Formats: sequence, C-alpha cells, structure tokens
Amino acid sequence: MALNLFEAATVLHRETLGGAVTQPGGTTSVDELLLARAKAGSEAALEALFRHFEAPVYTLARRLMRTPQDAEDVLQETFLEVVRSIKRFRREGSFEGWIRRVAVSKALMKLRQQAARIPEEELTPEMAAAVAADSNHGVAPVATAPERLDLEAALAHLPGTTRFVIWLHDVEGYSHEEIAAATGRTASFSKSQLARAHARLREMLTPHAEGPCT
Amino acid sequence: MHLSPEDLLAVRDGEATPEAADHAASCPECAARIEDLRAVRRALAALPQERPPQDLWPALRAELAAVRQRRRWLIAGWAAACFAAAFTLAIAVRGGIEAWQEATLTRETRHLVAESQMLEQRLRASAGAGRVVTGRTAGAIVQLEDRIAVIDAQLNGIGPDRADSQDVLKLWQERVRLLDALVNVQMTRTAYVGL
Repeated sequence: MALNLFEAATVLHRETLGGAVTQPGGTTSVDELLLARAKAGSEAALEALFRHFEAPVYTLARRLMRTPQDAEDVLQETFLEVVRSIKRFRREGSFEGWIRRVAVSKALMKLRQQAARIPEEELTPEMAAAVAADSNHGVAPVATAPERLDLEAALAHLPGTTRFVIWLHDVEGYSHEEIAAATGRTASFSKSQLARAHARLREMLTPHAEGPCT
Repeated sequence: MHLSPEDLLAVRDGEATPEAADHAASCPECAARIEDLRAVRRALAALPQERPPQDLWPALRAELAAVRQRRRWLIAGWAAACFAAAFTLAIAVRGGIEAWQEATLTRETRHLVAESQMLEQRLRASAGAGRVVTGRTAGAIVQLEDRIAVIDAQLNGIGPDRADSQDVLKLWQERVRLLDALVNVQMTRTAYVGL
C-alpha cells in the first residue's frame, strides 16, 4: 500500500529517485536516495514524500483535531516543518516516526491556540452533527462497519485534551510520561484523562452500560 | 471491591501494582472490563485511514516557494548589511590610519622645525667669527644659502591647510640638511680662522 516506486516514479517524472517502502507492520522506510534528494531541496523528492505521508499524517491529525479544516492545517504545517528541518533529521529513528512526532507537536500547538481562544468543551449535538458531516466530506473511508463509525463519532465527541491523550497513548504508543512532557502536565493528569476518555467512550458506545467498577 | 478505571488501564498496559494484577487475575468482571479496554484500543488503531478532501500539495508548494523567496530576501538583506558594516569599518580604519599618519607627520615636522631653529642659532653664534679664507668656501656658503632661501620661499608659499603635509615635511628635511651643511662649513671656517 501507500507510496511505492510506481507512485514515486509518476511524481518524479522519470527522475531517478529512490522511494519509500511500506513495511509489513504498516510503517514506512524511506529510501536514502529519496531522503538525500529531499534534504538537497529537490521539489520532486519533497512531493514524493508528501504524497506518501499525506494520508497517514492527515489521519493522525484528523484523530487529534476536531474538524477536517484543522487537520488540513496540521498536515500543511507539519510538512512545512519537515521541509525546514529535514536537513537536521538523523537516522536515529524512522522517518515516519519523526514525521508523526512533528505532526503531534503541530496538533498540540493548534489545540493550545484554540484553547486560548475558546474554553474547551464537549461537542454539542449540533457541533457533533457538523463534525460527522465534515468527516465524510470528500473522504472515502476504507471501512464502513457500523461499529467503526460509532467509535469514530464517539472519539470526535471527546474533549480535545481527552481525545489527544487516548489517541497518543493507545494508538501512537506514547507513555504517560511522554504525554506529560508534550502537554506540560503531569503523568497523573495523563492517566486520569485516559481513564476519563475510556469511560466516556464506554458511555457513548454502550448507552445503557453500567458505571465503572467500584 | 473492583479495580478503579485507572487500575484497569494499568493492568491492560502492564503497569499495574502486584495487588491490582492479582485482583484482575481472580475477578471475572474486572478481567472482562480489561478485555473491553483492549478491544477499544484495537478498534481505535483499526480506524480507517483518511485522505485530505483536497490536494494540498499546490498550496504547500506555493508556500514553500514563498518561504524560499523570503529566505533569499533575508540573505540578500544580511549581505547588504554585512557590506555596509564592512564599508563603515573600512572607512573607520582608514580614517584611523590617516589620523595616525597625520599625527606622525605633525610630530616629525615640529621636530625638524625645532632642529632647524637650533642650527640657525648656531649659525648666528658663529657669524662674524672670522673671514672667508677661500673663494671655494665662500661659493659653497652662498650656494647653500641660496638653496635655503629657495626652500624658505616654497615654505612661505604653502597655506596653513597643508602645514602638515608630506611635501612640507620633505622641505623641512631638506632645509635641516642644508643648514647642517652650512653649519659644518661655518664651523670649519671658524676653526681654520681660529688656527
């Protein structure tokens, strides 16, 4: 799936370039040659990288942000940062891991800006409907199983910080300490937000579920 | 008593205390809740990938071009600033060197004027000490005095704005040299007369 040599070759108009290869686990290793050309400022190489990573980065941003517009902003700001900082990227981790961390940082920055403008609150039913409509606009979801759509909608209902914590912890694999460092809060705060997120998801996904164990 | 939501998550993530882990192993209800939490995590990770509703590359490419343009202007601005600074420094250094040279010139000229005055005093002191004994000596004295007169005329013709110029310095050097020669002639004659 995702960027293959055919895609890269199409983008690069017969330029001799490497590419990015998707690993069995879904992660991607970026070809050294492609990376070197991107570092040298080759627009074709940068576009090849963008074409490959736009979907995973947009999806990540979409999970962290409330609206598709915010996710688009995060995607754009992420790649601008990638272009600015790509020369400093060292092979200490995967290129995809680096890009995802940049995206998380940009999303967090945007959430902070939004929190400064409007107090964080949960979606009203009208806002939730708008978000649900936005989430399908121009997008062709791969999976359409009802439970998945329910989960996606429930996730969108969570307050920004809560959604941020559950996604980073449960999907991106951040530890509570890493989340604390990224958000400027404590690990205890991250743990309580994670518990709150799961409790809210449980409520929304099973409306008649019993309360938490006591 | 069952586990708290935080403890349930800690057990799921392998971060629980031994007590919480023991409870989860022996409590079917809590074990079921932990399995639910695992299922939610799996379901979140399995949510479908999305693509942006519109192609963002053209806008991004335009922004990158704008950034590069701004960077070029910034570099050009820095280059201009560096050039201006270097130019100012060169002027300042040159001004400093000129000031130093001017001070040196003034000091050397004053020294020559003082030396010239001292030689003239010696000439006046030896004047009339005797008569000229040979025509050759008299000719030499006249020649020296004529050349000194020419230099004096040149010095008088120089305005105050060039009082510390290199030309004036050379004239004073020449005047001292001629006066020195004249003093030597006079001394020789005086010594001869004294014999």
